[in-house]
Amino acid sequence: MAGICVILVIALPWLGAVFVWLAGDERPEAQHRSAVLFSVLTGLVSLVLLFFASPEPALRLPLGRAFGELTFVPDGLGVSLTAIAAVVGSLAVIFSVDYMHGEAQLGRYYFLVLFFIGAMTGLVLSGNLLFTFFFWEITALSSYGLISFYNDDPKAVTAGIKALIMTQVGGVGLLAGTLIAFAHLGSLQISDLLARAATLPAGALAAIAFSFLVAAAAKSAQFPFHTWLPDAMEAPTPVSALIHAATMVNAGIYLLARFYPAFEPVPAWTSSVLLVGLISALISSVSALTANDLKRVLAYSTVSQLGYMVYAIGAGGILASQFHLLSHAVFKALLFLAAGSVIHSVGTRDLRRMGRLGPRMPFVRNVFIVGSLALVGVPILNGFWSKELILEIGLEHSPIWAYAVMLLCAGLTAFYTFRMVWLVFFGKERDYLQVHNAGSAMKVSLGILAAGTCLTWLFFGGLNGLLTSTLPFHELEHATLRQMAVAIVSAPATWLAMSIVAAGLIISWLRARGLALFGGGWLNPFVESSFGFEWVNRLMVRGTYRLAAQLSATQTGELNWNILGIIGALLVVLVVLWFGA
Amino acid sequence: MESMQSYGLDAFWEAVLLLGAVFCAYRAIVAKRILSATIYLACISALTSAIIYLLGAAQVAVMELSVGAGLVTVLLVYALSVVGDDAMDPASVIPKPLAFALVGLTAILLGSMAYPAIPAYFERGSMTLAISLWQSRVLDVWIQIVLIFSGVMGVLGLLSEKTPGRTQEIHQ
Amino acid sequence: MIVTPFNVILFGVVALLGVGFYGLLITRNLIKVVMVLQILIKGVVLALVLAGTVGGNPGLGQSTAATVIVADTIVAVVGLALAVQVRRRFGTLDVPKISTLRG
Repeated sequence: MAGICVILVIALPWLGAVFVWLAGDERPEAQHRSAVLFSVLTGLVSLVLLFFASPEPALRLPLGRAFGELTFVPDGLGVSLTAIAAVVGSLAVIFSVDYMHGEAQLGRYYFLVLFFIGAMTGLVLSGNLLFTFFFWEITALSSYGLISFYNDDPKAVTAGIKALIMTQVGGVGLLAGTLIAFAHLGSLQISDLLARAATLPAGALAAIAFSFLVAAAAKSAQFPFHTWLPDAMEAPTPVSALIHAATMVNAGIYLLARFYPAFEPVPAWTSSVLLVGLISALISSVSALTANDLKRVLAYSTVSQLGYMVYAIGAGGILASQFHLLSHAVFKALLFLAAGSVIHSVGTRDLRRMGRLGPRMPFVRNVFIVGSLALVGVPILNGFWSKELILEIGLEHSPIWAYAVMLLCAGLTAFYTFRMVWLVFFGKERDYLQVHNAGSAMKVSLGILAAGTCLTWLFFGGLNGLLTSTLPFHELEHATLRQMAVAIVSAPATWLAMSIVAAGLIISWLRARGLALFGGGWLNPFVESSFGFEWVNRLMVRGTYRLAAQLSATQTGELNWNILGIIGALLVVLVVLWFGA
Repeated sequence: MESMQSYGLDAFWEAVLLLGAVFCAYRAIVAKRILSATIYLACISALTSAIIYLLGAAQVAVMELSVGAGLVTVLLVYALSVVGDDAMDPASVIPKPLAFALVGLTAILLGSMAYPAIPAYFERGSMTLAISLWQSRVLDVWIQIVLIFSGVMGVLGLLSEKTPGRTQEIHQ
Repeated sequence: MIVTPFNVILFGVVALLGVGFYGLLITRNLIKVVMVLQILIKGVVLALVLAGTVGGNPGLGQSTAATVIVADTIVAVVGLALAVQVRRRFGTLDVPKISTLRG
């Protein structure tokens, strides 16, 4: 049964992608309907798969001696991420029905979205490192295709290529780690790497650990690769919600969580992970304070929350990071989709031009406030429980200054979130904007996500059970919902965090009321250059372009040179065989 | 059963045939006119067919002879008649010594690595096996039929040309 | 090194393949390219029959050789038809001149 679910959850979106493409752009209604059908089916299958989780591979396909077996393992990490990807994916597709109404080239859009959903589920369910890499690359490709979807806009195209190049650096890290592991272990199975990590020579294990860290940092837009995500907001908003908030950027977190038991003994690895998360959270929280583009603020907050998750993994809290991943996926998707409603109706992303939209878009305002409260970490909503859990673990297992910085970030989060909500929905009207209310498909998605934001924390017990029972190598503690709730509510650290959050909210409210406190204008030059790290991005992108231009001289297109290449390669193979045999 | 002496004689004849084939191949490549190259190609087909017969595969030898020396030659001559035999021989794009060295090195490596795999003496295969094995290679037969059909369709499509007269009629 | 019937054929196969690849590297005429492919295929057919006989499965080797002959004939046919069309469209059969797909 698990095997069938695994096949369906990967094949259904891919079939849907081909189906939508074949329906043709002359029949947009058929395209919308079939995309929604296939994605909702995938969501349902993924929810069914939750009940069949097991640490044993559900599907084994022998691939010959070179690649071992293609296995799919539906363990807790995999099925929880699959469920998130598929369910949030279906909600984003439902939202797209209204958002992309009347847009051109719907076939390309839905194809890439469905292709992505299938690849993401394959990524987290795969038990073979090489196929994890393959699915990783497919998600990067879909992400690029969707960021550059409006391909007559040069900003979108540049952003897409920048994202592609930077995440490909991560892909190189993943491939390098895979190959080193294969060379030493002779097997590409993830379970083998986890079981026999201690038998690897220390240098090799460290190389694998740090290449995987680079891969995860590049994919999840962490320091020093954090510059591509804010620029990727040129994508259509449902894409931003799905790929750049709820699923693809979680692939890096998944990678770190999956291999934590293998890499924990490597000296300085956990500290590096901690630092990466910390710095990312801090830099992006500060950058969000002065951003003027609505989606950019949300992008910075995504990087910051991912920083929290990475910090949690560095401190040893796998459960906390996965719980926050669940909460974040739901409330961040909600925020992005609600922002998409706003942007779709007023036609601009600039915060300085919006104002007092609340009375004219009541439903969107309400769900946006729910999402923002979850982001800030107000009690009862799911963000509160998961963020407090992370801060608890941080207090116990990380240096006190790191904990202090994360607390500060919580305060900063409160500040910029309040600023964002105020500038959009309250205050005074700054510009004359046409507003139309959200369509019914949008309301469905937003409503479901808002309900999820209030309720997903109740699944903590289920998530805990799922993870502890199906992950044999991770040492996770058992905890029920009640234990967790009691522990959080009664811990003094929680009240400290709450007071910092309240301080952030109050300061922001006072500023909005006109009191000029903590003016942030001096930050702008730093933020624009991403605190000096834009040069990392520029280096990588320009270097790649230069190399590509130089290598294109070898592509003469002439038959004789191509044959020369073939024979040269044959000669190399023969020489290698001659010396190897 | 062949005796040891006839192995030596067979080797001699095979060596002669092979040398002839390689010589014809070289002449075909450096020939200035394509028509002469076509003749050389037919000779190669004949010689190769003889070697295949000596190896014991009579049906394959007949196929090779009829197809290589017959069908392909006719096709080439037809194509030449349509295209015109321009006797051009400009200098090659890749310098000849480089090509020679590369190919020579590859051939020597390949030959010396494959040499131990060939046993010295072996019994020749019987002649009617090709027919009896069509029962287990039926898929090959179907694939060949499909190939032939698609090849014919492709050629008909490629060679068809809109007659100039018809377009003039439409313009009028 | 004993020169036996089978070893000689191995050298012949390698020599034919070598001459064929040399021809592919040297030639500039599209029809010559089709002809050189034919030379290569003859070497391959020889190798297949040889391998079948030596490996103890002569029927398999011969049937595969027959399939390859059919396939290569189709290649020659379609290749020549393409060459005819290229001559009509481009006016020349010089391979470097008709290579417009560049990196």
